Amino acid sequence: MELLGNLGLGLGVALSLTNLFYCFLGALLGTLVGVIPGVGVLAAISMLFPLTYNLEPTTALIMLAGIWYGTTYGGSTASILLNIPGTPANAVTCLDGYPMARSGRGGVALFMTTVASFFGATFGIILLTLFTPIIAEYALRFGSAEYFALMLMGLVAASTISEGSAIKGLAMMTLGVIIGLVGLDSQTATARFTGGSLGLMEGVSLIALAMGVFGVAEIVMSVRRVKASDIDPESVKLKAIKPTSDDVRRSWFPMLRGSSMGSFFGTLPGTGPSIAAFLSYAIEKRLSKTPERFGKGAIEGIMAPEAANNAADQTAFIPTLSLGVPGSATMALMLGALMIHGIAPGPTLISDEPELFWGLIMSFWVGNVILLVLNIPLIGVWVRMLTIPYHLLYPSVLLFICIGAYSASFSPLNVWMVFAFGALGYAMRIFKFPGAPLLLGFVLGPLMEEHFRRAMLLGRGDFMTFFDRPLSAAIMSLTGMILLWSIWSSEGAKKRRTERANSM
Amino acid sequence: MYRFDYTDMAAGALLMIAGATVSIVSISNYPLGTLSRMGPGAFPAGLGVLLAFFGLILVVQSLRNEGERPDLRFWSPLFVLGGVFAFAIMVEPFGLIPAIIGITVISSLAELRIKASSLGLLCLALCFLAPGVFKFGLGLNIPLFAWPF
Repeated sequence: MELLGNLGLGLGVALSLTNLFYCFLGALLGTLVGVIPGVGVLAAISMLFPLTYNLEPTTALIMLAGIWYGTTYGGSTASILLNIPGTPANAVTCLDGYPMARSGRGGVALFMTTVASFFGATFGIILLTLFTPIIAEYALRFGSAEYFALMLMGLVAASTISEGSAIKGLAMMTLGVIIGLVGLDSQTATARFTGGSLGLMEGVSLIALAMGVFGVAEIVMSVRRVKASDIDPESVKLKAIKPTSDDVRRSWFPMLRGSSMGSFFGTLPGTGPSIAAFLSYAIEKRLSKTPERFGKGAIEGIMAPEAANNAADQTAFIPTLSLGVPGSATMALMLGALMIHGIAPGPTLISDEPELFWGLIMSFWVGNVILLVLNIPLIGVWVRMLTIPYHLLYPSVLLFICIGAYSASFSPLNVWMVFAFGALGYAMRIFKFPGAPLLLGFVLGPLMEEHFRRAMLLGRGDFMTFFDRPLSAAIMSLTGMILLWSIWSSEGAKKRRTERANSM
Repeated sequence: MYRFDYTDMAAGALLMIAGATVSIVSISNYPLGTLSRMGPGAFPAGLGVLLAFFGLILVVQSLRNEGERPDLRFWSPLFVLGGVFAFAIMVEPFGLIPAIIGITVISSLAELRIKASSLGLLCLALCFLAPGVFKFGLGLNIPLFAWPF
């Protein structure tokens, strides 16, 4: 009964006129950004972040979250029609979506992925509603040692499990934590690494870092590469979107399996929507009685991954909102948004700010209904968006990034930081370093230091304090296992590579 | 193909330099404290060592791997970052409109083949759109023009 009351409270918040408007705006902008290849979700959120400065924290978060799940909806459009994933999470959708579009069934594919997205998101939201309060209540008992261990596990998992070399991920995570320490030390008020600059006392701006590393660097890499392509307008005419009864019959179980996979991987640090989508595609192919249809336009091949990535989008909020430990770079940005608005994330969030928590969750429902309604009639508009030439798009994006950074504190310092992080981001692309661990480390760094110092104080300077407490010890050993596994698997991958090279 | 992975080697070396710098700066400028009462220098000093350690592993690994030529480009980063640079340097003394034109023109050069007419139209559109959204839509107080002298 308490749950119903809370849901009612949340629905009231989410359906207020202001919140409804910003939810709509976020979902719309997110879809737009998701459709356009070459602008990622992180760049989009950080670019639109300045729009939320003057809003209530709840409204701000509702809008940012709308952008996040909106991009996944929109990303499938570019995957299906252009064979270019709008976001990495939609990459698998290309495999069967594009062949469907080629054979004139693009409209059906777009319609059905919208349905799958809605189904997956709904599934994820239900789990989010049920589990977040339970986990948060349990987490109230955590001490500093547990928090430090938990954040460490989140960072290590996010750096090692994602694509690329584990060492590079870990190095970027460390660098991120170091950058996060710039500014006044919270315990002794010593200014660290500021170089005497007054502006840097408050620390490095999260927005400048995200926009530089993900926005500017992405633009540098995409210039003269992304081309607006020709799309056959016939394939997306509205008359062609009605699925056959065979399509519908084939879609139920892939959606259900995709949603479960997505919900599971969404909660884990470092995995998230891309891996969920990829694995659920692999499972559908294995379970199918006719695996040869996959890659040639099998409807199961788009339904499962799209349900999975949308479910993962939603369940990613579970650790973020219940523990205050984000599992991905996007969630780190959400957490950063909370902190900028002066709200301390953690297990007390739900009891301290029930309106924010339940309002946000109910806004997910509202936002997904909006997306469902929005996407189907507007498919034609999204398709037209794809034909905007990149040489007009990127200077505009760059300008909005700069104005956004400038307006964060009305000082050119933030724009200089965008410049510096843009250069760092470009260097990271050349050296093939991942960006997400940097951002995660940056957001978690100050919190980790605080918990580490407090735990050491309580443990009288003995490192064993992290291993004496049973829960902290369990988390620490899990972290160790993740590390060992990543070393082992990267060695294995290398061996396989050389063997393949030798046998050729 | 190169015999060693020179890209990773350079990256590892840079990480080692960065890590060492962080550690040295923290140790020499900020109090380290004791293990039970850590000063502001202790945590960053440790992180610097960790970063340098990861750099070292990367260098060692690079000796065992063959490398490919990195995807280096010169003009795109120069003009895109140059645009940001222009905005940062112009927005305060000259105001928003000159900064918009500066960033749009310079960053557009990254495309390498530009038409003056489409660039002019883009500048014009952004000069109306950006102040419209930020100054009049969101009510941010940014002067459109300023005269520094």
